Amino acid sequence: MAEAITVKPDTAFIRELQGCGGGDLKKCYQCATCSVVCNLSPDESPFPRKQMVLAQWGMKDQLLADPAIWLCHNCGDCSTMCPRGARPGDVFGALRKAAIERYSFPGFLAKVAGKPAGFLLLLLLPVLVFAAIVLFAPKGELTPDPEFANLFPQNILEPLFFAVSGLVLIAFAIGLARFIKALRKAGATGPIIPNLVPAAVEILAHSRFKKCGAERARYWGHMLTLWGFVGLAFMGTVVGIGTMIGVMHTPLDLMNPWKIFANVCAVVVFVGLVIILFDRLADPVKRAASTYFDWLFLLVLVGVVFTGILSEAMRLMGADPAMFYVYFVHLVLIMMLFLYAPYTKFAHIAYRTVAMAAAKS
Amino acid sequence: MAESGGVEKRGKPVLVMGGGIAGMTAAIESAEAGCDVVLVEKGPYLGGRVARMNQYFPKLCPPTCGLEINFQRLKKNPGIEVLTLAEVEKLSGSPGAYEATVKIAPRFVTDACTLCGACEQACPAERTNDFDYGLSKTKAIYLPFKMAYPAKYVIERTACPEGCKACQDACTYNAIELSEKARTITVEASAVVAATGWRPYDAAKIDNLGFGRCANVITNVMMERFAAPDGPTKGSIVRPSDSKAPASAAFVQCAGSRDENHLPYCSAVCCSASLKQATYLRAQYPEMPITIYYIDIRTPGRLEDFYQKVAEEQKIRLVKGKVAKVEEDAATKDLLVTFEDVLAGKKVAEKVGLLVLATGIVPNTEGLPEGFKKDDFGFLARKGAKGGFIAAGCVSRPEEVSATVQDGTGAALKALQSVVRSAHHG
Repeated sequence: MAEAITVKPDTAFIRELQGCGGGDLKKCYQCATCSVVCNLSPDESPFPRKQMVLAQWGMKDQLLADPAIWLCHNCGDCSTMCPRGARPGDVFGALRKAAIERYSFPGFLAKVAGKPAGFLLLLLLPVLVFAAIVLFAPKGELTPDPEFANLFPQNILEPLFFAVSGLVLIAFAIGLARFIKALRKAGATGPIIPNLVPAAVEILAHSRFKKCGAERARYWGHMLTLWGFVGLAFMGTVVGIGTMIGVMHTPLDLMNPWKIFANVCAVVVFVGLVIILFDRLADPVKRAASTYFDWLFLLVLVGVVFTGILSEAMRLMGADPAMFYVYFVHLVLIMMLFLYAPYTKFAHIAYRTVAMAAAKS
Repeated sequence: MAESGGVEKRGKPVLVMGGGIAGMTAAIESAEAGCDVVLVEKGPYLGGRVARMNQYFPKLCPPTCGLEINFQRLKKNPGIEVLTLAEVEKLSGSPGAYEATVKIAPRFVTDACTLCGACEQACPAERTNDFDYGLSKTKAIYLPFKMAYPAKYVIERTACPEGCKACQDACTYNAIELSEKARTITVEASAVVAATGWRPYDAAKIDNLGFGRCANVITNVMMERFAAPDGPTKGSIVRPSDSKAPASAAFVQCAGSRDENHLPYCSAVCCSASLKQATYLRAQYPEMPITIYYIDIRTPGRLEDFYQKVAEEQKIRLVKGKVAKVEEDAATKDLLVTFEDVLAGKKVAEKVGLLVLATGIVPNTEGLPEGFKKDDFGFLARKGAKGGFIAAGCVSRPEEVSATVQDGTGAALKALQSVVRSAHHG
């Protein structure tokens, strides 16, 4: 006879999932309708039916090292078709959050980022940093037209953001290394790092996302957001380096090709985010399924883009001093977006890429 | 009538709504215990869904002998008044003293009918045969089924050509009255039994399972008719698309049942019904691959034996995993069914020649008088109804025939208690 397998249910983990979107997971009775209706679920290792029973049993280690939870793009077809209302799509969302919490470094930040109670704490740090800059940093020279550099000198902002980026990259590197270690322990044998490039290309092209249900609007919303965002991040890095080594001077002229590129990217992200927001809010089921974790990331991103466009417009109109308040908020939100990226839903960009790379082999 | 001593002073009659196996049982048992019964049936015949079955599970015998016995008991008992094509329109009063308004639609055929069939031969018009779930047609004048009770033809007047009298002319017994009008009567009752039965869930509502879209996807009730000797194919189970033998057949369990998007409850009989129907197929096609796709096989009590026996002896393949996608091959009309084989953990698409959807039970509660209470699933609740209001059979819960018969007997006892009360106090 085969050796008996002792299942030790992690009941705390079950409750954790139930508390952050997976509230109905116990309703699943394993009919596997979900695995069939999911266009992304592969024949040889279908999901999410298997993960649902593992979630009911609280098999935390196995679940969080399962690339499948990242192969889902959350179209919600499984939840719509589920005969029991167990909402596998939402359970997967909760699993992804739990995975980010488990692997991210330092882990306590993910705990803070994962709960509404931690919001003020997240807000406090950037507010203090930028308030200190306003109060104590040596002011830049006054210009004929008001410029943000008057109050937020570039020789402080640029190194600050590069330092933040460095910290975030280190945190991501540690988190992903932990994730890969867990994937290996769970039996992933194929190459992962070499597959990162094709996985990233697939993500940029949204070829998997496109197969996800009949949700065209969501596909466009996500793709525009990602592309616009990547463009802005690239542009921000270029301008940051450019100003630091003295070859660029902000604010760039409106006709400067980099500025044109940046403004186009901002509009693209804005359109994408409007689609995503509308998609989430228009459908009462999706609205109800959206968790704090979803909203924190989405609204900070929306806030960054909105205040960014607004501050530029106000600067061009010379709206002194209101433009400085808006810019202050903009800076705070950017700092929140990047500094906490490894702990919020933003981290899905990294974990999903690695999981897709692992699933390729 | 049988002079039974149970009820010395006869009370008012028991009103039974529904002439299926539950209602017939309640009526006969009540009458044999000595009270008067009025049995009101909406259709033109008694026997309801049971009459449309090929065989019962688990004994695999046809329903005809059971029906025959019941029809005999009914005929021999003058205490039972049978009203077919009749519906209770209004019910008023209080426990022990109800008054029902019953509307009786015209049958257009009188008791003089001898079932000679001359009318049917003469009739030029056709109607869709609901007895066969639309799989066949009958003439506009028809006998519901061979051993129908009452043994009389009936005319579906809406199917008649304007001014046609062919049947009347052909009838040598003057049994046809085309001018017959609907009439309304009043019935007094001490107790009211609702045994209005069930109907199959509308399979076309289950988009992903292909019924109505794919020719060779049928429902389990249609399968009963295909297999029945008096069915549209005289008992041979063939594909609707080409009337040929299927190369393989499969059953999709819980087609609509246990699904909050359709019927949130388990319909209780479909697992045993599919096992039973697998035996029909096996009897006709000894080598054919037969698969049952299930979530859980639910065969409680003695039916567990039936499940094990059928699965083993008939070489039925059982796959845990619900079919959630059905596509049709445009050329061959074969079906491609997709499911996750849960025990193997693989997603599979298989070709099937004939697909049977094990659709569930929906209670017929429409038009019932106020005073009955429904449970969370829309069945009539066993408790909380008005005094003397009794629910029996599948209108009160999904159940197999034998349980329904017991239910009918139980309803008779409760009705008798009301009758006795009304006899003493009324």
